[in-house]
Amino acid sequence: MQLFQGGSVHTFLKIDPRTKLFLLLVVNIIMINGSTAGAAAIYKPILACLPFVLLLTGKRIVAAFVYGIIFAMAWVTDQYLSGYLSGGINIVIALVSGLSTRWLPCGMMGYYLMATTRVSEFVAGMEKMHVSQKIVIPLSVMFRFFPTVSEESGAINNAMRMRGIRVGGGKGGVIAIFEYRIIPLIMSTVKIGDELSAAALTRGLGGEVKRTNFCSIGFGMWDILMFLLGTVFIALYFLL
Amino acid sequence: MGYINVPFRNSVYSAVLSAVMEDKMVSIDNVSFTYGRGECDNGLKEIGLEIKKGETVLICGESGCGKTTLIRLINGLIPHYYEGKLSGGVLLKGKQIHKLPIYETAKYVGSVFQNPRSQFFNVDSTSELAFGAENRGLEYNEIEKRVIQTAEMFKMEELLDRSLFQLSGGEKQKIACASVSVCEPDIMVLDEPSSNLDITATEELKKMIGIWKAQGKTIIISEHRLYYLKDLIDKVVYMQEGEVSKTFSGDEFRDLSVSAMQSMGLRPLELEDVVKSKMISLPTGGAELKLVDFEYSHKKGGRDALKFSDELVLPKGNSIVIIGHNGAGKSTFATCLCGLIKKFKGVVKDDKVLKNKERLSKFYMVMQDVNHQLFAESVLEEVLLSMDKPDNKTAEEILSSLDLLEFKELHPMSLSGGQKQRVAIASALASGREYIILDEPTSGLDMKHMKEVAQNIRSLINTGKTVFIITHDIELIIECGTRVVHLEKGEVRDSYVLDQKGIKKVWKFFQDSREDNVY
Amino acid sequence: MKTNKIDAKDLINVGIFTVLYFIMFFISGMLGYIPIFALLIPLLIGILGGIPFMLFVTKTNKFGCVTLMGTIAGILCFLVGQSWISIPFGIVFGFLGDIIMKTGDYKSWGKTVIGYAVFTDWVIGSMLPMWIMRDVFFEQSSKQVSGEYLDALMGYTQNWMLPVVMVLGLVGGIIGAYLGRAVLKKHFERAGIV
Repeated sequence: MQLFQGGSVHTFLKIDPRTKLFLLLVVNIIMINGSTAGAAAIYKPILACLPFVLLLTGKRIVAAFVYGIIFAMAWVTDQYLSGYLSGGINIVIALVSGLSTRWLPCGMMGYYLMATTRVSEFVAGMEKMHVSQKIVIPLSVMFRFFPTVSEESGAINNAMRMRGIRVGGGKGGVIAIFEYRIIPLIMSTVKIGDELSAAALTRGLGGEVKRTNFCSIGFGMWDILMFLLGTVFIALYFLL
Repeated sequence: MGYINVPFRNSVYSAVLSAVMEDKMVSIDNVSFTYGRGECDNGLKEIGLEIKKGETVLICGESGCGKTTLIRLINGLIPHYYEGKLSGGVLLKGKQIHKLPIYETAKYVGSVFQNPRSQFFNVDSTSELAFGAENRGLEYNEIEKRVIQTAEMFKMEELLDRSLFQLSGGEKQKIACASVSVCEPDIMVLDEPSSNLDITATEELKKMIGIWKAQGKTIIISEHRLYYLKDLIDKVVYMQEGEVSKTFSGDEFRDLSVSAMQSMGLRPLELEDVVKSKMISLPTGGAELKLVDFEYSHKKGGRDALKFSDELVLPKGNSIVIIGHNGAGKSTFATCLCGLIKKFKGVVKDDKVLKNKERLSKFYMVMQDVNHQLFAESVLEEVLLSMDKPDNKTAEEILSSLDLLEFKELHPMSLSGGQKQRVAIASALASGREYIILDEPTSGLDMKHMKEVAQNIRSLINTGKTVFIITHDIELIIECGTRVVHLEKGEVRDSYVLDQKGIKKVWKFFQDSREDNVY
Repeated sequence: MKTNKIDAKDLINVGIFTVLYFIMFFISGMLGYIPIFALLIPLLIGILGGIPFMLFVTKTNKFGCVTLMGTIAGILCFLVGQSWISIPFGIVFGFLGDIIMKTGDYKSWGKTVIGYAVFTDWVIGSMLPMWIMRDVFFEQSSKQVSGEYLDALMGYTQNWMLPVVMVLGLVGGIIGAYLGRAVLKKHFERAGIV
């Protein structure tokens, strides 16, 4: 039911999807772009803790700790060690840690959003922000289709294995793998999509009436707190 | 596209007409239609049909006769979604729906399609129930009221607020029906709704149709599988090659003899007749297949897990039918048996032990969803792909035995569902492998093609191959089964020969399933 | 009855094909974890993305669909943690692609190829931070960081690399368009899903 299938959607903190989007934006702007010196060396790692905490509230304990450890290692490497590293592999390590400190928090924030938000909540959030149906409908369809494509892919893979179409050996070689995996996947997905369109149209999709939404979301105490938090960080970023 | 040669009717005339037509829910007046792009269903030739308010009408006929086209005419998909040349008028409660956009027609007609997997727009069941109402712009409170009412009416409260990806096919179809019901249309059309459902789920479907009937809705169903509708039908329309060939009242249809039904190419209305019919000779020969330690589960405590307590010994050279309720472990059994599951630790002994990898090349499985296993550019290629030594002549013979030779140059994905199923079966035959597993091979097939498949299975076992068939199609079982394995909750409930006694057991299972309502 | 307004069926197609396109993106992106190869992503996504994309424009061929696809792809990128710059890039390059194809009335093959090639460059949006951050990084760390590391980093993100990457995207798009059309003819048209 959530954007990213798998695991429960229950969280200790009930946060409106719009707030989550705001926080994602905050983390995104600050972590990817800014420098890591001066004041940033202090507020950046603090901000990086946000996804960690949120993931914990979302019961994604393993993900939270894996993130925490990797980020900590990357941060330390980037700040203190990369100056002293030389030689091939070490340069790659330095580069990777530098990139990780920037992208990892955003990725985890995105994961938090996807793992703890139901599709219907997300759509409701977008509609409340007056995002056009031309964006909302494709987004809903997209989230509905990711698991489907995954299922289809697994089934096609099984069929391929059974008929003896394998990587190397088997019939055909690399291009064949591609042809036998991707093409049937696209065809099967598109067929489902066509059937879905027909069914959705017969249920009134595409009418001129404004669509309503049967999902209730709203701002609460935690949202206000999060907004304040986010604003503080943005201020720090722009002022320092 | 979509030319309409209906004489001009001014609004006064049509208002009067509406008043007169109120009793006639659906009026199809001299309609002809040809698809713009080659579709597999026939077009329609000068169809005339009238359906009264509150009638439950069955549309039947062989594959490709035009049943689906007729349904699409009524729910507005023709001519707006499926383009082509349309002449004649379709009136719903006096309104000319071929002139209305689909979302307008949707106010009067609810549609349920055959594939439970491709009908849902949302990810969770409650949103899905609300979908139609949301599209109409109904208020939150109104939607809530209707959703709860509908759930109560169909007794499906425990299906609310669940992820649609975790529901069984039957549960999904229930949601599909309920979802359409929320908007309370007067007319319901269903296009082969039981195709992908097992016996229990089909009974649930029958109940839902019964509820609609009691509400006074006009119901139009196109179907191959007729038995579950026996008591519900008021009128029957039999189609052939795009024309309405015969119409019957419900009673007339119920009185038809078995041979009359057969000559129309229809599946029987009363299955007990089938059960009493002929029997095939049972193969002799002692070679055996031993299945030991068959235990597996995709997820801890998941559905469809396997836990055989004893070893299972099956005779080779037989057509072994696997029956059981939803979640009994049939699919898991099939995928483990043919070697697809790497983590599976069970042992399969022929003369020697067959490991997972070896089994992959000895077993051939035709899966339930045929779209996953057609890879080639032409039907002929598809069959040749299965052969170790590609041989056109043999391939064509196989195609011919399944009535597919005329399609040999066509792309497999361009065929109809039933035709695709047969192509998949043809590939299995061509593989020449010793063990063949068929998962619901006849789910959408009409009688003629079901018999062809049965014939092919019989020839397979005559050449010494062993065929496993997962099915709930009792006619298929009678036609070609020689042995039954009954699975329940991952265990082997029973394993028996399909002699007279065995047939009685299968029939009992079938009847019990219709009363149980156990998923 | 075909109109030129985007209807519900088109919107559903945008959703589906963005999923398929994104999967191609994901496959290409897996190479991006090796920092050097990250620069090749536009080339790869151009090539692989052509397969679903050509089918997409054949099925929809209305103005606005490509723009929408770019927008949705950009939003999805943002949701998985890529830079927010992906969104404006998705919108702009989607729009450009749309406009180019429209001048050929969605029937000219040449315009379709160019349109798709231009569209492909939307992915640069998610990579842009590498150049933006480079200056900042350089200025702030030249004090602490050793020569070798710095040289390597600078080497990978020279200013002139940006246009190179854009060209790679265009090239990838052109190849992808032809690949997509080949697949369209060999499979999709004959399968009747067009």
